[in-house]
Amino acid sequence: MAAKEHIKRDVIIIGAGMAGLTAALYAGRMNLSVLVLENAIIGGQIANATGIENYPGLPNVSGRALIEATQQQAEGFGAVIDEFDAIQKVNLKEDPKLVETEACIYEAETVIIASGMERRKLPLSEEKKYAGKGVHYCELCDGHMYQDKVIAVMGGGNAAVDAANFLTKYAKKLYLVHRSQLRADEASQTKLRENPKVEIFLETEIKALKGESRLEAIDIFDKASGESRELAVDGIFVNIGVSPHTDLFKDEVELAPDGRIIAGEDCRTKLPGVFAAGDVREKEVRQLTTAAADGTTAAILAEKYITSKKRGNIQW
Amino acid sequence: MVKVYSISNCPWCDKVKKYLKSRQVEFEECNIETSEEALKECQKLTNDEAVPVTTADGKEYVLGFDKAKLDELLGLA
Repeated sequence: MAAKEHIKRDVIIIGAGMAGLTAALYAGRMNLSVLVLENAIIGGQIANATGIENYPGLPNVSGRALIEATQQQAEGFGAVIDEFDAIQKVNLKEDPKLVETEACIYEAETVIIASGMERRKLPLSEEKKYAGKGVHYCELCDGHMYQDKVIAVMGGGNAAVDAANFLTKYAKKLYLVHRSQLRADEASQTKLRENPKVEIFLETEIKALKGESRLEAIDIFDKASGESRELAVDGIFVNIGVSPHTDLFKDEVELAPDGRIIAGEDCRTKLPGVFAAGDVREKEVRQLTTAAADGTTAAILAEKYITSKKRGNIQW
Repeated sequence: MVKVYSISNCPWCDKVKKYLKSRQVEFEECNIETSEEALKECQKLTNDEAVPVTTADGKEYVLGFDKAKLDELLGLA
């Protein structure tokens, strides 16, 4: 096998969600050489969002449209986005920082980790048997399979309720099952409650998946009454929270107990030149707007770091 | 001819198509939402409706975006 090519960049951004793309846009606009590496989907979680109503200036925009526009802005300022060259390992304690992919070894002055989150899998042993065969994690990708069928959505946050609202366009009947009370925005909850196809089970847990080769039913348990029942369903969409994409960095930067990266509001980690931005950073409020804010902060301070380093007076 | 069975608004379908384009692989896009014929072909091939599905010969296929499997299926490795 040929030796991997070594390539230098001012900034490497890991993750092309809203935080990463915003950082790319700002860093590119400051004439830094910028590479964004994305192992999964450009846009991250937001790529699947069907109707975003709380992004300032855009009253109702799809995740896809918002991300495409932001990507074009970043690329317009020279940022390069590679979504096919997967990262294998990183060494962020070195100077320069090293990011090794399948094809290259990148040397960077600064690294902005914006690797985001992924949906939590359903914690049932039979989940693997039904994954893709009735158990789904992407309503946008797989919702079409359930035209005039019975769907259940697991979860009670914004993502779950928005997914449920979206899936009502296919389902003849939709159940929302959540272990506690709904946490989604009031507007989304109201829209769901007013849909006659929808039945909501709160304080209710999913206990089992059933079916021969595909999912045919689920067992649910009402915590208040202590009663169990079987719901016949054709498919379920799981939205029971997210976990951070930080496996690659666990030996490099300090992680909180939940796996998120510990960094200040300035997005600086304890490692000079390494920033954490967006949902992957340990913080209280995680919104699209705060992801964009983190990307902005990290890129501006990355430029400041690079300039101070060139002057021999590193500011961190 | 390589075929990619997909739907209109699907990030992983887009990723497969972008990858094939980046590797200069010509392919026919078969939208199973808009074409009944494409839907039937996809169901016959995979016994399911999950997408994206990529096939070169109508027998072997790759479900989803899996670069290593796509490379193997299409002789790109």
